[in-house]
Amino acid sequence: MKPEQIQQALEDISVESDPSLKHLKLASLVSAVFRARGVELVVVGGSAIEFYTEGAYVSGDLDMCLVSPTRLDVRTRQELMGQIGARGGPRNWQVAGHFVDILGEVETLSLTPFDELQAPYGIVRLVSPEDLLVERVLISVYPQPHEPAAHCARKLIAVSLSGQVDMDWKEVRRLAERPEYRILPVLEKIVGEVAHELGKPSPYHS
Amino acid sequence: MNSENQVPIIPKGRPISWEDWLKGRRARRETGNRVAPEIIRRSSSSSDKRLRQLFNGERGLPFKATEEL
Repeated sequence: MKPEQIQQALEDISVESDPSLKHLKLASLVSAVFRARGVELVVVGGSAIEFYTEGAYVSGDLDMCLVSPTRLDVRTRQELMGQIGARGGPRNWQVAGHFVDILGEVETLSLTPFDELQAPYGIVRLVSPEDLLVERVLISVYPQPHEPAAHCARKLIAVSLSGQVDMDWKEVRRLAERPEYRILPVLEKIVGEVAHELGKPSPYHS
Repeated sequence: MNSENQVPIIPKGRPISWEDWLKGRRARRETGNRVAPEIIRRSSSSSDKRLRQLFNGERGLPFKATEEL
């Protein structure tokens, strides 16, 4: 992107008052600037949940992780974020009235690809709904019951069962069985509950 | 396209366009509201201090009402 295009994008993002749109436009701009240097990023956490669910969950910080390369030196991070007028660092910055965190290598165990959004300033990659769902189910019960995570999981399940988000339920089960999660009974229970509430069949009920 | 309500699905294996993603916002919000409270933003986190400083005591921008999506 040329400097004047970046400036135009920053002006658009700065005046954006819708938190979901602000997150995704900012993710699009950050992704474009890093991609031009050969660095691929992916949106994780609350911003990704918001993309899939419109769940009114996201706060004022955008979390992104490195896909490739898996490490990026601090000087390069500062230079790239400097191109979009960011302040702070070396892992979190303030830009366009928002915070951006770049958290290191993405943690993903899913075999499904990252989802992609053709956003205004270029493609945004988002961590897969399968990874997000199993992670939220785990957080909803360990180390202590955590209601916001359960709400996120329920919304993700609902939009998927309603045909609004393509979810690979076999992959979700595989992830839930893995030693890194070991959460299959909780997953099956919450999917069954949401399916019942929506009047739809559970993908885990034969 | 989701035949149930003509909302574009967020697909796997190909990008979703900005326009299609926007078209599905309201339907996704309404679906989620059937199984969880409308607003589920956490009340606190390790980022509280910086967030509340930037957002006038809140943890982020206010959400659009469902009917405005």
